[in-house]
Amino acid sequence: MFDYDYSPMSALASVSALKIDRFAAFSALKTELAARAEAARESTAERCFASGLPALDAVLGGGLLRGTLVALEGSSGRTAIAARLLARATATGLAAAIDTGELFPPALARAGVRLDRLLVVPATTALGIARAVDILLRSRAFAVVLMPAVALRGQVWARLAGLAQKAGAIVLALGTAGAELCAFAATRVRCALDRVLIAGANGVFTRLIGYDVRAQVLKHRFGRPGGEAVVRAMHRSGGAPVRERILARVALRAVGMV
Amino acid sequence: MLLCVTVPDYALAVASLDDAAPRDADTPVLLADKRDRGRTIAVDAAAFRYGARIGQTIAQASAMVQGARVLVHDAARSRALWDDLLDALDAVTPLVDGEEPGVAFLEMTGVAGRPADHLARAHRAIGGFGLPVRVGFAANKFVARCAARAADGTICAEGAEAAFVADLPVGALDIDPRALSRLQLLGVRTLGALAALPHGPFVRRFGSAGATWHERARGIDRTPFLPRAHAVAIEAAIFGEGTAEVEAQVVFALRVLVDRVCADMECLGKRAGALAIELELENGEMRAREIGLAQPTAQARAMLDVLRANLEGATFEAPVVGLRVRALRLEEAGEALTLFRGAGEPDPQTIAVTIARLEAALGETAKRARGVRAYALEEQFAYAPFSASFETRPSVAPQDDTVGDEAGDEGGTLMPQLRLLEVEEIAVRIAGGAPSHVGSPPKAVLECAGPWRIEENWFSVPLARDEYDVLLEGGALYRIYRQGRKWYLRGSYD
Repeated sequence: MFDYDYSPMSALASVSALKIDRFAAFSALKTELAARAEAARESTAERCFASGLPALDAVLGGGLLRGTLVALEGSSGRTAIAARLLARATATGLAAAIDTGELFPPALARAGVRLDRLLVVPATTALGIARAVDILLRSRAFAVVLMPAVALRGQVWARLAGLAQKAGAIVLALGTAGAELCAFAATRVRCALDRVLIAGANGVFTRLIGYDVRAQVLKHRFGRPGGEAVVRAMHRSGGAPVRERILARVALRAVGMV
Repeated sequence: MLLCVTVPDYALAVASLDDAAPRDADTPVLLADKRDRGRTIAVDAAAFRYGARIGQTIAQASAMVQGARVLVHDAARSRALWDDLLDALDAVTPLVDGEEPGVAFLEMTGVAGRPADHLARAHRAIGGFGLPVRVGFAANKFVARCAARAADGTICAEGAEAAFVADLPVGALDIDPRALSRLQLLGVRTLGALAALPHGPFVRRFGSAGATWHERARGIDRTPFLPRAHAVAIEAAIFGEGTAEVEAQVVFALRVLVDRVCADMECLGKRAGALAIELELENGEMRAREIGLAQPTAQARAMLDVLRANLEGATFEAPVVGLRVRALRLEEAGEALTLFRGAGEPDPQTIAVTIARLEAALGETAKRARGVRAYALEEQFAYAPFSASFETRPSVAPQDDTVGDEAGDEGGTLMPQLRLLEVEEIAVRIAGGAPSHVGSPPKAVLECAGPWRIEENWFSVPLARDEYDVLLEGGALYRIYRQGRKWYLRGSYD
């Protein structure tokens, strides 16, 4: 009466075969995805620009990614981290810094920045700063470009981010990040003072020789945000005893730093 | 074969030529480097006989030679006259080596005529300058110079150089006086006696310079003949072929002119280190600019990029009706040694174009900082133009004077950074001789370091202030200072 192409037994066998095929396909898919993820991790590692600060590089997953916009926010410690990155960049190539009149080159030199490889571009207006960074990125000759986080439109930040990606350069924007910069920055790090280091006896022999910077990763497009690292910035104490002044985090929170 | 044209005591001869004051031919003459508190750089034979020597002060030499005429050396005039003299010698042969003022060598190989004819032509070419000239002819520079010094018109036949110089004193080698006295102590007084000495032991005793002396004593001189480059003008211009009202039209015309200039340079085997551009406007005004190139080149693309970067954003009151491009600082061609530049190092031309674009966009030139030894913060650094050509390989040399032993910590620590803020007066309360509250509204000082006294420039505009580092409640670290009775904010630690 009914002419079936397959018997129930053969149907059962084909369903089993189908399950085996699906299992194999799913396994192959998992293997493929794992291989692609590994390849992506390797290519990300190659593109990492390590700061040379083990604690900070650990929370950043190896370092900052080349070809991205990085916002260094907060109240203190940003320039110290930026100086370290400039030092790493000028060790093997060129870097540029937009100077609004606040640059202090001797401190940069003490951080290891090669001043003969640091192009200082004087600019004070937001438009001038944006044009300068645009020109520097288009040249593709600078590994790191330091600029103040001025108020620019989203289209401008988008263009600068695109140019940074094409040039493979890191654009460090120091200052309070507006909503546009927050959106286009691939990495945002908030810095605050954790403690201050004092050397010498009280009185005229007291020296403020350094401070600890607490860097909190607010955003990391290619890694895991939320990590914190404490990095020390310190002159040599010259043998004098060093004491620490821990800054109350309650006080810091009150002024919106944490 | 070389012709040597020499003017003995050239600087003195030029100064005497220009000296309009009447004097006797026997009057001793001294040449000083400057009028006030100068020293003698040349003396004539008469002054030398009276005891004047090179290096004496004018007062000393004048005391030795009573009634001597003192002339002052004009280096620019000497150089210019020497260049004119070399230009005149071009009439004898185009290959003239005259780097040292007073001595010129002319390559006469291939020039038709006998040596005596060449000597006569040289005299005719420069006779009008009024300088005492001596000419000699020989196979190499040293022997030709000796021939000219011996007597005007001396000819040394080819192959007879050793015999020609054999009787000359060892002083003809122009060597160090101490070495000369050593040779004379050894009994070597003529070049022939020097040539007779064994070569190896002589060189071991007197070093590598002795090898050159020994060769010259045998009439051999390996000094290369380096003819001077002739001045050429390479330029291209467009005038009266319409007007250019927009930048694109000017750039198009520039491209045409740059192509022509590069073609001419290629024909002559030259490259340019700078370009001069002139724009003629419709209202009759001329705008001229000289633009340096990061490195000498004959590539049209590199030149056009730099020109375009320099003209970016430029505005003129009237349309451009004429354009001229001239190649400057010409030198012999040969491409830049890009083979030896590292893979990651930037192209200097790219840097030069970038700097030109920045200058056009911002109106200020990009620069590099350098450290300066000073105590005041704002005087511890200065800026200089950024050079596109620099050594990009890592160096272990210190960067500048202010980098002490704290630099370059490659461990896990940073270096505190100071941001210079605009100097502004702030309110500071004092307690116990130290700041207790800073700012308005006042913030308590949690920690205070200092003061450090800075006193400078006592001889001009004195600077005296006491600097402090203060940690304020809220966690801000500042550098403040007191000058007189007022307090100022200088910077913040970031």
